[in-house]
Amino acid sequence: MAINMPGAGPDAAEAHPGKTGAPEPEKAGSGGKRLSPVKLYTRRFARNKAALGGLVLFALLVFFAVFGRFLTHWNYTEADFTALTVSPGVSGHLLGTNGAGNDVYAQLVHGLGRSMIIAVTVSLLTTAIAGLFGTTAAYFGGKVERAMLGFVHFLLILPSFLIIALVGTHYRGEWQVLVVVLTLFGWMLTARVIWSLATSLREREYVTAARFMGVSPMRTIVRHLLPNIGSLLIVTFTLGVASTVQAETALSFIGFGVKQPDVSLGSMLADGQSTLSTAPWLFYLPAALVVLLTVAMALIGDGLRDALDPTSQSGGRA
Amino acid sequence: MLRYIARKAVGWFLMIAVATNLTYFLANAFLKPASNYTALRPPRTPAQINHSLSLYNLNPNKPILDRWWHWISGIVTHFDWGRSPTGGSVNDQVAYRIFVSGQLVLGSTILAIVIGVGLGVYTASRQYKAADRVWQGLSVLSFNTPSAVASLAVVLAAIALNQALGNTLLPVAGAQSPDVSGFWPVFASRATHAILPTISLTFISYAGYHLLQRSLLLDNINSDYVRTARAKGLTRKQAIYRHGLRTSIIPVATQVAFAMPALFTGAVITETVFAWHGMGEYFTKTISTNDVHGVVAVAAFGALMTAIGAILADLVVVALDPRIRVS
Amino acid sequence: MIEQRAVMTKPATQQPLLCVRDLKVAFPSESGRVDAVRGVSFDLHRGKTLGIVGESGSGKSVTSMAVMGLLPDYAAVTGSVTLGGENLLDLDDRRMSKVRGRRIGMIFQDPLSSLTPIFSIGSQIVEALQIHQDISSAAAWKRAVELLDLVGIPNPDRRAKGFPHEFSGGMRQRAVIAMAIANDPDLIIADEPTTALDVTVQAQILDVLRTAQRETGAAVIMITHDLGVVAGSADDVMVMYAGRAVERAGVDELFSRPRMPYTIGLMGAIPRLDDRDREALTPVQGTPPLLVDLPDACPFAARCPAVQDACREAEPDLLAIAGGGDVGGSEHSAACRRAAEIDDAAIGGEPIYPVPAERENRAAAVPREDRPKVLELSDVTKTFPLTKGGLLKRQVGTVFAVNGIDLDIREGETLGLVGESGCGKTTTLLEIMGLTPPERGAISVCGKDTAGLKREQDISAVRRDIQMVFQDPMGSLDPRMTVFDILAEPLRAVGERDRKTLSDKIADLMELVGLDPEHRDRFPAAFSGGQRQRIGIARALATKPRLLVLDEPVSALDVSVQAGVINLLNDLKAELGLSYLFVAHDLSVVCHISDRVAVMYLGRIVEIGDTDSVFDNPRHPYTKALLSAIPLPDPVAERTRERVLLKGDLPSPTDDRPGCRFVSRCPLHLTLSEPQQQKCRGVTPQLTGREDQDHLDACHFADLTASADN
Repeated sequence: MAINMPGAGPDAAEAHPGKTGAPEPEKAGSGGKRLSPVKLYTRRFARNKAALGGLVLFALLVFFAVFGRFLTHWNYTEADFTALTVSPGVSGHLLGTNGAGNDVYAQLVHGLGRSMIIAVTVSLLTTAIAGLFGTTAAYFGGKVERAMLGFVHFLLILPSFLIIALVGTHYRGEWQVLVVVLTLFGWMLTARVIWSLATSLREREYVTAARFMGVSPMRTIVRHLLPNIGSLLIVTFTLGVASTVQAETALSFIGFGVKQPDVSLGSMLADGQSTLSTAPWLFYLPAALVVLLTVAMALIGDGLRDALDPTSQSGGRA
Repeated sequence: MLRYIARKAVGWFLMIAVATNLTYFLANAFLKPASNYTALRPPRTPAQINHSLSLYNLNPNKPILDRWWHWISGIVTHFDWGRSPTGGSVNDQVAYRIFVSGQLVLGSTILAIVIGVGLGVYTASRQYKAADRVWQGLSVLSFNTPSAVASLAVVLAAIALNQALGNTLLPVAGAQSPDVSGFWPVFASRATHAILPTISLTFISYAGYHLLQRSLLLDNINSDYVRTARAKGLTRKQAIYRHGLRTSIIPVATQVAFAMPALFTGAVITETVFAWHGMGEYFTKTISTNDVHGVVAVAAFGALMTAIGAILADLVVVALDPRIRVS
Repeated sequence: MIEQRAVMTKPATQQPLLCVRDLKVAFPSESGRVDAVRGVSFDLHRGKTLGIVGESGSGKSVTSMAVMGLLPDYAAVTGSVTLGGENLLDLDDRRMSKVRGRRIGMIFQDPLSSLTPIFSIGSQIVEALQIHQDISSAAAWKRAVELLDLVGIPNPDRRAKGFPHEFSGGMRQRAVIAMAIANDPDLIIADEPTTALDVTVQAQILDVLRTAQRETGAAVIMITHDLGVVAGSADDVMVMYAGRAVERAGVDELFSRPRMPYTIGLMGAIPRLDDRDREALTPVQGTPPLLVDLPDACPFAARCPAVQDACREAEPDLLAIAGGGDVGGSEHSAACRRAAEIDDAAIGGEPIYPVPAERENRAAAVPREDRPKVLELSDVTKTFPLTKGGLLKRQVGTVFAVNGIDLDIREGETLGLVGESGCGKTTTLLEIMGLTPPERGAISVCGKDTAGLKREQDISAVRRDIQMVFQDPMGSLDPRMTVFDILAEPLRAVGERDRKTLSDKIADLMELVGLDPEHRDRFPAAFSGGQRQRIGIARALATKPRLLVLDEPVSALDVSVQAGVINLLNDLKAELGLSYLFVAHDLSVVCHISDRVAVMYLGRIVEIGDTDSVFDNPRHPYTKALLSAIPLPDPVAERTRERVLLKGDLPSPTDDRPGCRFVSRCPLHLTLSEPQQQKCRGVTPQLTGREDQDHLDACHFADLTASADN
């Protein structure tokens, strides 16, 4: 809260009776009323049923991606020429095969893992770049800020999806290349969001205090700015995973992402498209997984945002 | 005001110019127009291929800077964006496809805004009640459904419906039936063809407006001035509608202004699934056919639409918010 | 023992307008149910003003919001609020909306956010009128303009079309008052109506409120933390603590004979302009309790110096005190077991709050001229470009935020820098702390000119000598760092790395400011406001500076803890021989802590001198107005003293033309002859000493009134 503003005299908190209930322990060490932040966040998160559901779902998906392959003897690259496009449960194929005779179950396990690895790596990298870039621009302000923002605006106007597609096609769908290009063109919007939040942090007195104490800019950014937008970064990361899964799916679907023999959920969807009426399981199995994955991440992200928000009203009952 | 727009426009124009030229060089580096000829029967000699490509300013043996000069002077002097590797005019393609895309995306965008904003207001005034939670859940689901999944699910449902009815009520591919003529039959055919893609596009895009409007309105519901409005004697609902909504609609309107021009850049996935030859489909087609000039035109068009969106968004804010006035 | 009887038994001579009985409000929270209001009862008669005083969290605002029916749905409200025979708590939102605005008008604390930014001021008042009255738009607009005129907005015709952002804070608060009285309400609730405003504007707004009350004949509930405001405006006063009324009496009775130790503590803790001989303030120890799972005991027991075992066994009721005068029609009642024993802030002749001893200031023994200068500013100027337009910014002028300031601070001395918001005092501080050469003029810290500081080491060396304490004790401490890391930061910045040395130094610092070194691993959120400010002071002291720059260090604190911090600052100065540059808008605080005072107006110093000299014998008309605008916590003095009310708001310092900048608001200027007025407008007055060289003022005609109105 910006106490520097005239509205915030000694009684500012009273103007928002809903927020006086926020757990701001007043007395040092008096009684056991003080909750540690982590405990508080956990409690708030756990109260959010949807977020908890998302977390469980995500855990199950990870478990499936890691250990699912032990349930079948088929490898996702192997083709069973004796069983092309068979329905689930036929000829020992748990979830059937596709037109080339690949075991759908094995492909799903691998594709889910591939989509997850790409999404998590990209989101981790973009969040890190965006966090550093945004806070640095905000801390320095003035000309440095304008130059850095100008750079971001320029990158935003570049046809990033097109460039990703160009580069992706050129390197024949290597997933590592996909990670690099998705990262390079994926951090700008987040950086802008973080920048705009960090500009309000820049005005905080503890940042001014650090400057007047002679603390170096880099140290101030790392010690003060980054930790104080930490919760935002966590949320950004989670939602970033969801959006990267979507981007990767879209790219692979139109043929510019992961390519044979590697599979991802997006490339499986593209396969399923052509046999929609004859072999619908080739579509709805990967479709279900990809929706479960993105929705799980979105629910976790929303739950975290609520739990970490100091003005959250998801309190108990009177 | 005009001066402001002019200054902004010049800035955007420069950025578009740089971005477009950058794309030109990238596209030339990554795309190989010659490969369009290698599969042809009877096989062509490299010399023949290069001769054909030279006609279209795509000969890889010619220095890139010479090709660039030829290309850029074509644009500056005749606004000619070049030819595809097989000789088709990029200008013709883009002109036609913008129309197709606009037709497809316009309806769904209007629907998405109306549904999304309406739901946002409806659910925000019922925060944490059952209706709010149900719509919230649905919107989170739709917001996170990849468009490929949404489109294909709609196709699947339509096929099932058509099979159940025994005739093709809802066509699942193309912008119109090839065998109709006359104004009204064509109009009817186009309208029925547009139903499914419109549904799938609306489904994936309304949720953004819903969630945005809801959270903005919730921010405002607890603001001091809504409290003042209630203290004057407005009921909670009246205060929210008259004071909270009017203020919170500004960022949403900005968002809409941003989104409007993007209509014409098309919806890549939806156009691919429903076989509409719009800008979105052009995007995939130009890359897979190594159409350097087409790719660059798509990039330039996209950047232009972004710029128009940004300027429109500024204008909307000026129009709606008395705090911001350009003298 | 004097007999006590219940407050309810007093026979009502007249039907009260508002009757609140056993009002309770609870909110849900993470740590349990928060009982914000725990059984408040009061009556209010037509035309009377009830002052509700309390610190943050005492439940005074929540009480008013409950009366208005503006609490969120999740609040649990019980009891009864009867207005004209109708229990308001039984009404649903739709029926309550017929009462709000029509029968009860409300004025909120923060005028900056309480008006809808996208509607014009006039249309917002028209809306208030048309909700309750069947009136044509043209007639409503005419009435709105009249209302704006009534609350003292100049050019109401034109201003009604303006938007809130074009109005200053004071003007917006006037508009809110116009809205509150638009439908001629029976009751006006003013929730901290002047807290966000400057003193001179506060005086204007209190005046407007009086006008509004006179025009409407309404009863007023005045909620505030400022005892001075209450003394000047209330008939009855209710003191709230921990969600309950702990004392209630007529205003004269309460101020002259407070009975509840908390009230007595509050009065002892505020620095007062009219009582400058007190050496030290008497702070109330500790902090208010959390309103969660309160035991059945006096909530003040933990902080009360007169506590007895019985106080911890049951919570005392608010009971009438026999013999507590019936002046003004209301009884004196207090929620204290020992109320009857207490007389003149003492029990059995012993003061409840003993005045702490003040330490001898060693530096003061040496004459001022012989002490070295720790800070010297000469002709310091700072300008900002003035831009216009929301999107397309263009420079339309220059703001002279600081315009040629000269001042010096000697070792062991406190200079108080006072002025209203926007006068340039914060800019002056930032100029000093930036340690870079100013646009014009020179700054030298401990004898080193900032223009000569080129290398990092030089700057770092000076930084050790000058440190800053900030206004907001929460905002100035990084919430994600422990106290240890916060205090280590300045030491690390000057190159101290050794963990053991750091640890020892930090333990010493915490002890010095009265904190337990055991708490070094806690986060700032675990401390109360006063303790956080102590951490801030400890951090500033870490590098053993010679000069502390304090930016409103106590203005964000509650009165009862403010006194402790002020005393600490005084002790530290005596013990460490520090010098302070103390910036504040509250003249009472400044007069208590400073040796010398400088008064700023629009980027210039208009008067500077020894504290006693300036406060006893102010020369500049602005200083006089400022002093007279401060409400005194003494109802008798408030009623009798003469006020100098300034017109209008602080103008923007956008030009550097010659002439006195105070001309537009100066009451003295109006009484001058034409040639004298021309001199005011044409010649910039310089700081000049008159009979003594240490008291300077910048007014051409200060002599004319120097003796007249003192």
